[in-house]
Amino acid sequence: MLATVLYEDGDHRWIMFARDPGKPDGIIDTNQYLIQSGNEAILLDPGGIELFAPMLSSVLKYVPAEGITKLFASHQDPDIISSLGLWDQALPNAELYSPWLWESFIRHFGMNNITYKAIPDEGMTITLGRIQLQFIPAHYLHSSGNFHVWDAKAGILMSGDVGAALEEPGAPLWVDSMERHGPKMKKFHQRWMPSDAAKHDWIRRVSALDIKIMAPQHGRLFKPPHVADFLRWFEQLPVGVAIKG
Amino acid sequence: MAAPVFIIAASVSAELHQAMIEARGLALTAKNARALAVRAGSKTVGFRAITDFIEELASAIISQSRVINHHAEKLSTQAVTAWHSDNAMAHFRWVEAQKPEHLASIRPHINQCDKQLDALNHELQIGLRDLIGQIDESYKHIRTANLIATSSHVEAATAGDFREQLEVIADNIRKTADRIAAHLNRANSLLSQNHRERKIAC
Ligand SMILES: [Fe+2]
Ligand SMILES: [Fe+2]
Repeated sequence: MLATVLYEDGDHRWIMFARDPGKPDGIIDTNQYLIQSGNEAILLDPGGIELFAPMLSSVLKYVPAEGITKLFASHQDPDIISSLGLWDQALPNAELYSPWLWESFIRHFGMNNITYKAIPDEGMTITLGRIQLQFIPAHYLHSSGNFHVWDAKAGILMSGDVGAALEEPGAPLWVDSMERHGPKMKKFHQRWMPSDAAKHDWIRRVSALDIKIMAPQHGRLFKPPHVADFLRWFEQLPVGVAIKG
Repeated sequence: MAAPVFIIAASVSAELHQAMIEARGLALTAKNARALAVRAGSKTVGFRAITDFIEELASAIISQSRVINHHAEKLSTQAVTAWHSDNAMAHFRWVEAQKPEHLASIRPHINQCDKQLDALNHELQIGLRDLIGQIDESYKHIRTANLIATSSHVEAATAGDFREQLEVIADNIRKTADRIAAHLNRANSLLSQNHRERKIAC
């Protein structure tokens, strides 16, 4: 599992785990993120069951188990949180922040020890060590109960499936041209995202943020000016296309 | 490779459910036999007594199957929990081999998981042993059913005009007993697959 430090300021760090070389074929590649501050850390979209061991091993290189106090699942998909049953054994005292909508579904992945912290529809702000993290509503993008994570101090937006691209293994980490990257995202956004209204609402929300890095759950990450390029590209892209067949 | 215990236990539960349905059929046979014995009057006094035995037997098999079915289902659920812990342990072993910096911090949870797995495996062993015992116990009902079928044939021989109908009933009892025995045999061989070699002829 490749670990990349995206941001570091004292004990405030963002680490991205991705491109697991041992990942079985036929499983979508995912980006997992760890945010640290003070004695606390949160794992964002910890990933599928097949990723658990490499993820735990990678995370323990940076932070002791008792330091991972929180988990976050942006929505209920298996590539996001099917590893929950195993984290439940590894981090029995942790809390899982996830949409209230999915609580009774996500519990099917196995949760006997971890505490479910239901995020209300309007989102919420939590304290992690010395920083604040905001869970920003991104409903229907693509899941009907869905949140992104905004770290105002680092200027990083974890944007879940928004901005995701399904790429060849070994693709670079950063978007270098929206012209070349757009086509790699097009089908994914058109087919997975169901609602233009939801898309516009989200664009309005995140346009107000000073985003230095937009970090999706699949594929490359965005830095300015590609963040604004992405928002413009997304704005004009018709979504929910499957019903037009 | 033998099937995992949760599949074996669930399959045993399904076999016992089928056995219970067969036993309900046996209860129906007893009702028919009783009606016939009443119509036949004094010629079938012996048969009438036998119908009481069939009814009792049917309800004994039904309740025993229900108990075993329930036990096997519970065992299957426990086995799934054990399998999850076992799975977690396999992942933990891999992580240990990587020797990450903060490995020590996860050790208490690994040990906890290992302890839980041991306890679950122990419970499963006991549960499986009990299950085998309960199934062995059920064979006694099959032997009784076969005895009743034989006596029914003997009684049928002296029933005059009703002979043919009573023989059908006696055959029914034997066939149902055979079908229940087949379910028990299948449950038994499922269990011996991963537990012990055993052959039960009935
Ligand atoms: Fe998703
Ligand atoms: Fe995803």
